[in-house]
Amino acid sequence: MAFNRIELRNFRNLEDGAVNTGASSIFLVGENGQGKSNFLDALYTLSYGSSFRGGQDAEAARLGEGSWALEGQSYDPEEGLGGPRAGLFSVRWENGLKTIRENGKAVSDRKRLVENNPSVIFCHDDMEFARGEPERRRFFFDQTAGLVSAGYIDLLRSYRRTLKARNAALKDRMISVLEVLDLQLASYGTALRKERALVVAFFDEIFAPRYEAVSLLGRRIGVQYKPSWKPDEDDDAVVARLAAARERELAMGTTMSGPHRDRYSFVDEHGDFSLRASTGQLRLLALTLRIAQAEHYSAMSGREPVLLLDDVLLELDPDKRRRFMDNLPKGEQSFFTFLPGEPYGDYRAADTLVYWTDHGRFTHT
Amino acid sequence: MRALEDLVALFARLPGIGKKSAARIAFHLLKADGQYAALLAERIAGLKDRVRFCSQCGAYTEEDPCPVCSSPARDHSLMCVVEQPQDVLTLEASHEYHGLYHVLGALISPLDGIGPDALRLDKLLERVARLGVSEVVLATNPTVEGDTTALYVKKVLEGSGARVTRLATGIPVGGDLEYADRLTLARSFRGRTRL
Repeated sequence: MAFNRIELRNFRNLEDGAVNTGASSIFLVGENGQGKSNFLDALYTLSYGSSFRGGQDAEAARLGEGSWALEGQSYDPEEGLGGPRAGLFSVRWENGLKTIRENGKAVSDRKRLVENNPSVIFCHDDMEFARGEPERRRFFFDQTAGLVSAGYIDLLRSYRRTLKARNAALKDRMISVLEVLDLQLASYGTALRKERALVVAFFDEIFAPRYEAVSLLGRRIGVQYKPSWKPDEDDDAVVARLAAARERELAMGTTMSGPHRDRYSFVDEHGDFSLRASTGQLRLLALTLRIAQAEHYSAMSGREPVLLLDDVLLELDPDKRRRFMDNLPKGEQSFFTFLPGEPYGDYRAADTLVYWTDHGRFTHT
Repeated sequence: MRALEDLVALFARLPGIGKKSAARIAFHLLKADGQYAALLAERIAGLKDRVRFCSQCGAYTEEDPCPVCSSPARDHSLMCVVEQPQDVLTLEASHEYHGLYHVLGALISPLDGIGPDALRLDKLLERVARLGVSEVVLATNPTVEGDTTALYVKKVLEGSGARVTRLATGIPVGGDLEYADRLTLARSFRGRTRL
């Protein structure tokens, strides 16, 4: 799906009103702090229901305002605006409550947004995936799996809810309930471990050749999944493990093993590559993760996502820029942000819309 | 108009009723004939006096024990365990179940500080033993808390001699695959059974 028009109200520093986005690529050009990334955040919010910067919904309201609203008219470019899959999606935050609507009807689960308007963001914070915070890497691979599978999101939510309940039961020393929660945690957790292993195996096949193509490193960098529970531990073995750790977990008041402690690493024949990689190599690794995420989505769903690229070319030398652009997958639609001095004209297509961005206002050039 | 505003505010506290619906109901009552409004007021006022919990199963009833518990036509060897009294009404409306009920009153939820003590489990054990129940059907909702409670009840019933079963979940009977939502399909795949 692509966005034909975005309407904004009180959203960050962006001017209220509608912006036409009916093209295969849209360039937002402007100095820092003018609202380019905020516009990408508006698109991301219409795709995931929340900001790519994290933080509270209240923070997205323009200074002094108590509400914000976004509306996106999306369509399948092959079918056109009158096509059966065209729709109007809105996200509104007011009085501390967020409501999501599809064609005027309230939607109870924000999962509905990503099913309709899947997007992949390339941004500076992606470096966190490459540098190695386990929680951020889990977020990335959970997002990759969740983009194509509602079942994965459901499984992950069930696991997290059980984990929270189990941690509360550990703190309150509800011993008899813990025995039951062990069974549930093992059941959801082993199912999640299986899904993650499958996703990584497929993702690795996409990622490794892409990273070689953009980095020209000369050796294979792959993705390795290291589950907290060993791959050969079945439900019964996990339940036994949890029971054996009971005293320690009661003392700590928290669950000390399980998919919430899973790790992912990027490895070559010498081991963990990210520990030895240069900043430039890590930057490329982060960008390639997003390339592979978009390709993974297309391969699994048969559809293309919307690509949101926030200042990604800025830190690359001209050769790497070219290789990155050559390897960028085709998106249903692509949004780029550029500083005025960048050679964005080189990447421009015949139908590219270029907007000059100044103080939250978008002027067609 | 204080009387109207008070009534709108009271209606708006009801579940599923917003301010607009509350105002619509209040205006409807204002226009309706006086007899209807008086009957409604009388029924609301008498509700708490007339309807209470069945001392056996815990369902809502006007007579204790309730008609289900005291009916010789019901299968007393079969007991369906539900969370709330209103769940009994839902299952009864199907006319497909002819056993007894047992209302737990809550679900185990450590996050909300609700442990097994808040559930009517002692009464369940007592009834299963006294009535010689051979099968207990767990009909808690298919949520994390519903599953925790079902697993806990199963554990509590170990040694009672009763077989413990759980209501099936998945694609609705008669529902076409193409109309099932993605989540239902995903759960159905996860809970697939061997033929």
